[in-house]
Formats: sequence, structure tokens, C-alpha cells
Amino acid sequence: MGLEPLIQNALLVFLFVLCVIAIELKDLLYSVIVLAGASITLAVVFLMLQAPDIAITQAAVGAGVATVLFVIAISRTRRQE
Amino acid sequence: MDFNYVIAMLLVALGLYCLLLKRNLIKIIIGLAVLTDGIHLFLISLGYRAGGTAAIVSGEMFLDLPGFAAHAVDPIPQALVLTSIVINICILALALSLAIYAYRHYKTLNPSKMRRLRG
Amino acid sequence: MAGMTVIVRTIARLLFPFTFLFGVYIVLHGHLTPGGGFPGGVIIASSVVMLFLAYGIERAQKKVSLLHAEVLESVGGLAIVVLGLFGLLFGTFFLQNVFPLGELGQLFSAGNLPLLYLGVGIKVAAGILLIFYAMLFAFRGGEE
Repeated sequence: MGLEPLIQNALLVFLFVLCVIAIELKDLLYSVIVLAGASITLAVVFLMLQAPDIAITQAAVGAGVATVLFVIAISRTRRQE
Repeated sequence: MDFNYVIAMLLVALGLYCLLLKRNLIKIIIGLAVLTDGIHLFLISLGYRAGGTAAIVSGEMFLDLPGFAAHAVDPIPQALVLTSIVINICILALALSLAIYAYRHYKTLNPSKMRRLRG
Repeated sequence: MAGMTVIVRTIARLLFPFTFLFGVYIVLHGHLTPGGGFPGGVIIASSVVMLFLAYGIERAQKKVSLLHAEVLESVGGLAIVVLGLFGLLFGTFFLQNVFPLGELGQLFSAGNLPLLYLGVGIKVAAGILLIFYAMLFAFRGGEE
């Protein structure tokens, strides 16, 4: 006990702040990059919650494939909201 | 532990706010991703127990299965979330393709301007 | 989609074998460690997509073309079905294990589970690549 719940709560607050930033940014490309960072933070939280399987999948999918798909979609449409 | 549920519910509320109030298709899909993240966090927190270990049997843990089961976290929400992540990425790909087609057709990403019928 | 600068190209070229190898490791150790067919396949597909984004489509397409991806996806699906039929032919029900179980904790153990994970990994990697191709080439030849 001791430090670990503190780190986990700090990561959760960081995750929430990253999601708020991802939703409120006007530039969609920046928004997608911040969303990838939020996904990595969520993967670390999953690892602390003793779910390493989900952590690997979330990191690979959220930061890899989803970001690439969003970037392709933005390059096919417009970048500013 | 209660803080996990608070953050999960806040993420779901944030995703719903983005789905309902934003006027950009790509931003709406980002809100969908945030909402799904909140649901995943809720389910994984539901299966966690304080001081638990991961539900993976290896080595000499196999000799003491009841003792292992007394300490492991619940693996069923993890299997559920794994399936949910797979479905989520498929939904994202489909929704982004639809957004690209809508942009090609209407020349805008604003859903409230997509009322007129064209060809 | 054109290529990127020489820094990105060099880093992608250096990083590609390690990412690919990590994906193969995740797939092959799916029955022992966290991971399995789906995360490993996604990591393999991510490594190839990284090469695409760095070098541009035209140069990278010589390595893995659309036809290769479609054939690989069919091979992955067929492998699962054939393994299931093995269980039906030599055992009693679909997907029953007919291979030797081996020793607990070794790489070559657990009967047909590693083979199933291999099939799932190939199918997922090819499928993610196909989604990528479909979104990238959907509008080639249209207006614009």
C-alpha cells in the first residue's frame, strides 16, 4: 500500500484531463494525438488494475491502429473543426 | 477504488456531451472513443480486488489452485473488455469511412448542414 | 500519400524489425503470457503500416500488396476451420484437441491452442491491413 493508489489516482486525473483536451481542441489532428496519449495512459491504468492482457491490446489498438485510421480520415477531409 | 468509478462515469458523461453537442463528425467519433474508454475502465475496475494478482496461471501456481483463486482478480470482465475493444476498432473504422463519404458528398462535416438532398 | 523526411524513414526502417518480431512473439506465446492472436496481429499490422506511412504507398506496396493481404486473410481463416475439422474427424466435436498436450509452461505445449493463435494472428494482421488499404484507396479514381 502507500504510493500505488496515489499514482493510480493521479493517472486517472491525467486521463480525464487528456480526454477533455482531446474533445475541446479545435485542431482535429492535435486532438487525435492527445487521444492516443489518453489511450496509453488508460493502458497503464489497466496494468495497475492487474489486467495485462487488456493493457497490451489497448496500447496496440488505441495508440496504433485507431490513430492511423483517424489520421487517414482527417487527411481525406478537413483538419480544422 | 471509488475514484475509479467516478472517473469512469465522468468519461462516459464527457463522451455523451461530445456526441450530443459537437457539430463535427470526426469530433463526434472522438467522443465515441472516449465513451468506450470510460465503459472499459468501469468494467475492469469492477473485476479488480484490492491486492489481487493477474489471473494468469504459470509455473508452481498450478499446484495450489484454490489459493491462487483466492487472490486472483476476476477474469470475466477482462474477457468482456477484450471483445469490446475489438468491436470498438471495427466501429471506429466503419464510422470514419462513413464520415469520409459524407464529406465527399456534402462538402462539409457539419451534420446539421447535411439536410439537403443531392443526386 | 507521399513519404516523409529522411529522419522518419530511418527511424521507421530501424524500428520495423523489432516491432514485427515483438508481434510474432506475442502471437507465439499467446498460450503462456498475456497477449494472444488479436494483439499480436494488431502489432504486426501496425509495424507494416508504420513502414507505409514513412515510405509512401508506392514504394512499400511492393512488399505487401493488396492481393497478398487478401490471400493471407483467407489462409488464416482456413487454418482455423481446418483445425476445427481435425477435431471433428479424429475426435468427437469441432475444435477438439487431438494433438499431444506437452509439458506445462513450455512453448510447444497446449495442443492446438498455439496453432489456433497463429491462425488468428495471421487473419487479424491481414484484416487490419485490408481496412487500412480500403480507407486509403476508397476514393482513387473518383473526383478530386
